[in-house]
Amino acid sequence: MKRFQLAIAALAAVTLGLTGCGGGGDDSSSGGNATEVKLYNDKGAWKTYFEGVGKLSKEQIGLGVTPVGYTDLPTYEAFIKASFRTNNKPDLFTWSTGGRLKEIVDSGQVADTSDLWKDAIANGDVSEELQPYYTIDGKQYCVPANVSYWVMFYNKKVFSDAGVQPPTSWADLIKTADTLKAKGVAPFYQTSVLFSFVWFQQLLIGTDPQLYNDLATGKAKFTDPKVVAVMQQWKDMEDKGYFSDPGSKDQPEAMLKSGKVAMGLFGTWFNTNMTTQGMKPDSDYGMFVVPNVTPSLPTTTVAFESGPLCSLTKAPNPEASTKFMKWWVQEKAQDQWANSRGDVSANPKVQIKDPSLNQLNKDAGEGKYALANRFFEAMPPPVLTAALDGFGAFMVDPGSYQKQLENIQKASDEYWKSN
Amino acid sequence: MTATTSTGRRRGRGITTGWSALGFISPAVLVVAALLYAPFLYTIFYSFTDYDGLTSPKWVALDNFKRFLDDPALTTSVRNTLFWVVGTTVVPVAIGLLIALLSFGIKGGTLLRLPFMLPYALSGAGLGVIWGFILQSDGAANDLLHLLHLPGADISFLQQSPYNTIAMIVAMTWQQSGVNALLFLVGLQSIPTPPLEAARLDGASGFRMFRHITWPLLAPLTTVVIGLSLVASLKTFDIVWVTTQGGPGRSSETLAVTMYRDAFVSSDYGYGSAVALVLTLVTGAVTVAYLRFQIRGQEKLR
Repeated sequence: MKRFQLAIAALAAVTLGLTGCGGGGDDSSSGGNATEVKLYNDKGAWKTYFEGVGKLSKEQIGLGVTPVGYTDLPTYEAFIKASFRTNNKPDLFTWSTGGRLKEIVDSGQVADTSDLWKDAIANGDVSEELQPYYTIDGKQYCVPANVSYWVMFYNKKVFSDAGVQPPTSWADLIKTADTLKAKGVAPFYQTSVLFSFVWFQQLLIGTDPQLYNDLATGKAKFTDPKVVAVMQQWKDMEDKGYFSDPGSKDQPEAMLKSGKVAMGLFGTWFNTNMTTQGMKPDSDYGMFVVPNVTPSLPTTTVAFESGPLCSLTKAPNPEASTKFMKWWVQEKAQDQWANSRGDVSANPKVQIKDPSLNQLNKDAGEGKYALANRFFEAMPPPVLTAALDGFGAFMVDPGSYQKQLENIQKASDEYWKSN
Repeated sequence: MTATTSTGRRRGRGITTGWSALGFISPAVLVVAALLYAPFLYTIFYSFTDYDGLTSPKWVALDNFKRFLDDPALTTSVRNTLFWVVGTTVVPVAIGLLIALLSFGIKGGTLLRLPFMLPYALSGAGLGVIWGFILQSDGAANDLLHLLHLPGADISFLQQSPYNTIAMIVAMTWQQSGVNALLFLVGLQSIPTPPLEAARLDGASGFRMFRHITWPLLAPLTTVVIGLSLVASLKTFDIVWVTTQGGPGRSSETLAVTMYRDAFVSSDYGYGSAVALVLTLVTGAVTVAYLRFQIRGQEKLR
């Protein structure tokens, strides 16, 4: 009797427990004959473009794409990192290069793509200059999901109303800003949220690109007199009222469209934002490369970013992920991906339809510009976090630049002490 | 539990009854343990480690708490949290009480109270979005102040510290006052009529009536309203995250936002857990201290 009751008790516990936990494991990925890959990304607004590529991949290699888009970066990163420790892993996911990529590669979970890169470079599908961004300790990881150059977008109507032309020198740019300011237009867009580094990056790479690189590797200090001078120059521009309100909740593309702001410094991916606002490239808006601050520098430095598409060693279906990535870097996939969004491509064979983008892409390909890795990827993550906060606070109170630089340097000291 | 086993034992077959009872409650116990106790204990464990979410946590003993003490961002965060505590326990409670008192027992009172209740339909996030637009630089708030020639027309409410925290407290007041009024109203309705009538016969009215009769009789409810506001203010997160994300330059962070940022934005889960633990202890301590103090006061009254 006693044993019977014990058995009942155990049974009750187990059944209830099981029903509670049931329905968790859904094994949709079975072996090597997958027909769909789930592509996790932090670019929720690009759903249609991912689907466009997915339609093509379905036709060509029998693998469709289900995009799973996030719009909040911290949530996205936390999700991806958490997936490393669970069985619910993405087939493919977008990430960022630089310190953040190194972080996840160091955890040993990211699939090695060295062979894929060797083939792609040999076929001319990826340019060799891109390889360093994807190389960690001599091996390649992930493939380029997107590449972008940082240029100035400007409203053509605002420019012609003020009687100004895209500038060819820094002095010219400042003069343009003065003219626009006098007309009651905010010359430049800025924001204290996330993209607060943009103007620091532009001013520094145009003044001393070596110093910029040294900051990224911890060889130089943010409190270096030359960095301080850059901040003073930025402060001077803030004081003259060249910038839009850093805390505005309006979208930059809307501000550029309405003519509230004349120019905005963005990656070429911003083209998508402009066209979805209903603006036409080359007639409504244009883009130009920002001239160096220091005119004596031999080449113009342009900030460059490349975001990766990665897969994991323990992906649900590693063959399918690799198959898709191999196809992804090829011309047909890249043509669809780049031209549907109106951005440049990592594949040099792709013909870019937008004329000014095409020109920019060609010039960059021919080595007309020196490229600087975007601040976001170049800085180690803790330094980046401190810098984004510091620059955001600077915009509200430009007089505090010395304090902000000291705070950023503190994070940098902390990081390089142990790395 | 002890009661059941002791009566069971007296009946002789107690132990078996206990076992099967245990079997039947174990699913519930397991669920509670897995969903409530385990995460809590895990967080305590993480707060003593250096954990980036990728590699295994490294034991660092009290390092996170030491770092806590000389983190300038935390100083701001503690200051802002104090603003929130003082701001949202005093202002919305006082306004709520005023609304309840003025509209209690008059014709059409419900109708007069209704508009104050409406904002409560909004979530904290919704509140953040709407007030974000009102308070942004050159937004509706600035326009209005400008139009009325009032000071503050040139302040960037969400950019300059400490205006950003104060502005968000105003937004919260707008939402919370109505609910507090509702709670106070329940309190007013539950006051028995005899003492009120006795006081009236003795010639009390107006403020004296409120000061010596209504207010003391309302005390149990006031304790609840303030207690709830206290806890809510200590954990303020949603409105700040949506409106300013704690910025610019971490100037409007509260402890809860700092915790989220350190854990999920900087992937410093150890430090984030330490902040969470401190926040939990502070909330617990403040609440217990407050309730003790209040209840002792009320007992004295009797």
